[in-house]
Amino acid sequence: MATGNRPWSVNRRTILTSGAAIAAAQITSPFIITARGETPIRIGLVDPLTGVYAAIAQGEVVGAKYAVEEINKSGGILGRPIELLVEDSANDVGTGVQKTRKLIERDQVSFIIGDVNSGIAIAMAQVTSEKKVLHIVSGGHTDPVTGTSCSWNVFRVCNATAMDANAIASTLIEKFGKKWYFLTPDYAYGHSVQASFEKVLKAAGGTSGGSLVPLGTPDYSSYLIQAKAYNPQVLINVMGGGDQVASLKQFVQFGLDKQMAVGGTLFELESIRAVPDAARIGWWTMEWWWDQPGVPHVAEFNAAIKKITGGAATARNWFGYASVQTLALIANQEKTLDAPKLARALSGFKLPPQIALQPGSPSYRAGDHELMSTVFVGEAHPPQGDPDNMFTVRNPVPGEKAAGSVEETGCKMQWPA
Amino acid sequence: MTAASSRKLIVLAAIWVVLLLAPYWMAPLGGYTALATRVLVLGLAAMSVNFLLGFTGVLSFGHAAWFGLGAYGAGLTLKYLALSTPLAVIAGMLLGGLCGAILGTLLVRRRGVYFAMVTIAFGQVFYYIAFQWSSLTGGDDGLRGFARQPLDFGLFKLDILSDANIFYYFVLVCFALVVGTMGFILRSPFGRTMIAIRENERRARFLGIPVERHIWIAFTLSCFFMGFAGALYALVNNFADPRGLHYSQSGDFVMMAVMGGMRSFWGPLLGAAVFVVLQDYLSSITVNWMSFVGLLFILVVLFFPRGLLGFFQRSKA
Repeated sequence: MATGNRPWSVNRRTILTSGAAIAAAQITSPFIITARGETPIRIGLVDPLTGVYAAIAQGEVVGAKYAVEEINKSGGILGRPIELLVEDSANDVGTGVQKTRKLIERDQVSFIIGDVNSGIAIAMAQVTSEKKVLHIVSGGHTDPVTGTSCSWNVFRVCNATAMDANAIASTLIEKFGKKWYFLTPDYAYGHSVQASFEKVLKAAGGTSGGSLVPLGTPDYSSYLIQAKAYNPQVLINVMGGGDQVASLKQFVQFGLDKQMAVGGTLFELESIRAVPDAARIGWWTMEWWWDQPGVPHVAEFNAAIKKITGGAATARNWFGYASVQTLALIANQEKTLDAPKLARALSGFKLPPQIALQPGSPSYRAGDHELMSTVFVGEAHPPQGDPDNMFTVRNPVPGEKAAGSVEETGCKMQWPA
Repeated sequence: MTAASSRKLIVLAAIWVVLLLAPYWMAPLGGYTALATRVLVLGLAAMSVNFLLGFTGVLSFGHAAWFGLGAYGAGLTLKYLALSTPLAVIAGMLLGGLCGAILGTLLVRRRGVYFAMVTIAFGQVFYYIAFQWSSLTGGDDGLRGFARQPLDFGLFKLDILSDANIFYYFVLVCFALVVGTMGFILRSPFGRTMIAIRENERRARFLGIPVERHIWIAFTLSCFFMGFAGALYALVNNFADPRGLHYSQSGDFVMMAVMGGMRSFWGPLLGAAVFVVLQDYLSSITVNWMSFVGLLFILVVLFFPRGLLGFFQRSKA
C-alpha cells in the first residue's frame, strides 16, 4: 500500500477499525461487571420475546415485573430485595437452554420461570432439574410438562391442554350436542388437543369427523365444505394464531355460524384483540379473566396492569404475576432458598386469594405439580362497553374437575435422594 | 518463507491456547463455560459449511439438514439404542453424512443459485419429516428424554454430564479431531483440486479433474463434518428439535462463515464466536438484538468482503 510508508498516516481503514473498536468497547464494557454492591435474590425469566409468541411473552414479563415491584415494597424475599433477569429464548430450544444455563451458572439465579413454548419449557426443565433449581413453567401448555415429562422441581401455573379441552368439551356437549367436526393443525400439539377432545366425546357416546390442516394455510374453503357436508353440531377449531383468525373469518363468510356452533380451547385476549369483530365468535376457555365481579382483589390487579399496559389484564399478565408471587410466598414461608425443600412445600400449596385472583384457592397438585386453576368457559363476542369486554364467562369449571386424575396425566414424580 | 511459516505456527498455537484456556478466561469476562461450548459446536458447523463454500466455491443453503440429522441421530441412539456418548456421536455423524452423500449425487449437477435452491428444498424435506413424524422424533416438541452419558475409559470415568468444564474439553477434543481432519484434507492433493475447482471450474475440467465427482466428495465430507457437529449440539442441549433442520438455521451458518471470513480456515470459528456472543449478550439487553447482528453482517459484507479474519490479516500484512 502506498500510504503505508508514513508511520503516522491515517487512512480510511484505520478510521474504520478504530471506530469499530470504540463502538465495541461501548457495548462490551458492562460485560465485565459481574458483582454489584447489594446481593438481591435473583429470579430468571426465559421467554420468547422475539418470534411468533412475542406478544404473549411480553404479557408475562409485564405481570412478573409488577409482582417484583409489589414484593420489593413489602420486604422482598427473606428480607433481601429481588431482581428479575429477563432473557429472550427467541423461540428456539438451543437458545432457551443456553439462556437458562447462563442464568444459573453466571447470574446465580435462585429460581427460573419460563417458557411460553412448551418444547423449550421441557428442555429448560432438564437443565433446572440437573442443576436443582426450582422452576415454574408460566405459560407452556402441552400435557407432558406436568405429565410424562414431569419433574420434582417443575411447577406449572397455566393449564395443561387436557384441562382446557375437558372443561369446554362437557359444556359443548351439554349446550349443543355430540356430533363434532375438528379443524386441527397437523402437528403434535394439534393431534394431542384433538385426542383430549375425542376422549371426552367418546365417553359421552358422541361421533366426530375432522380435517388435518397444514400450518400456515391461508384458504380454508375445502375444509369448511367438508365440515358443512358432515353437518356437525359443533365445529372444534384447534388452529392457533394467524391460522385461527383466518379460519374463523372464513367460517363466518361461509355463513356456517348460522348452522353450527364453533369452539375450541384457547382464544386468548391477545388474539381476540387482534381479529376483526366478525371473527369474535364461538365458545372458548380463558385461563384467567379480568372481569370477575364479586371476586376480591381482581379489580385492583386489573387496574394496576391497566396503568402499565393501557389495556385490561390478560391471562398472560396473571401467569407472570402468579409465578413470581408463588416463589416469594413459598420462600418466605419456608425461610430458605433450598430447591428440594421448597419443592416439597409447594406440593399441595394453596394460593391465597390476593394471588389466585379467582373463586376458591387453587393449589399446586402434589402428584403432578399442576396448578388446579379455574377454567373459565365462555363466549367470545364483539366489545360491549369496555373495549376489552369481548368475552363473557358462562361456566367456570374448577381445576380439579377439569384435570382428571394424576394417573391419567402419566406423571411419575421422582424426587432426588 | 520461514518467517511466514513460523508466524503461522505462532498464530495456530495462540488459537489453541485461547481455546484450551477458555473456561478460565471466560468467567472473569462475564461469560460462562456453556457459552464457550456452544461457540465451539456452532463454529465447527460453520467451518463445515465453509469447507464447501470457501474451499470448493459451492454455496449450500440446506446444510442445517445434515446438522439436524446429526442431532437426531445422536439423540435417537441415546434414547433407543445404547447409552454410549461416543456411539451417539458416530451414529449422528453417519446419519447426517450418509443422507448427504446420497442426495449429493443429485445435487452436484447444479451450480450457483440452482445448487443453493435445491439444497434448501432437500433440507426442508428433512425438516418436515422431523416435524411430522411425531412418534419417532417428538414432532414440534422435539426429541427429549435422553442425556449425554459419562465417558467410561475402564480405568476412570469422565463425568461430562454434570461438569461443564469437562464437557467443554470433551467437545474441544472432538473439535480438534475434526478440524485436524479438515486441515489434513485441505493440504492433500485432493484439497488442492477443490481450490482449483473454486478458482476456475472450466480449467479444472480441462486439466482432467472429474469435477462432479470431486464436488460430490467435498460435499459428502462436509455433510459428515456437519453431522458430527449436529451430534455434539444434541449433546450440548440434551435435546434435538426440528428447528435445527430449518433453512433459517442454514442461513445462520452461512452468515457465520461469511462474517468470519470464508476464504480463511479459522474465519468461520471467529464468525460463530461473534454471532453467538453477540446474540447471548445483546438479547439480554434488547429484544431487537437481531437488528444489531444484521447490521454487523451488512457492515462486514460492505467493508470487509473477506470477513473479519480476512480484514485482520490484511491490515497486518
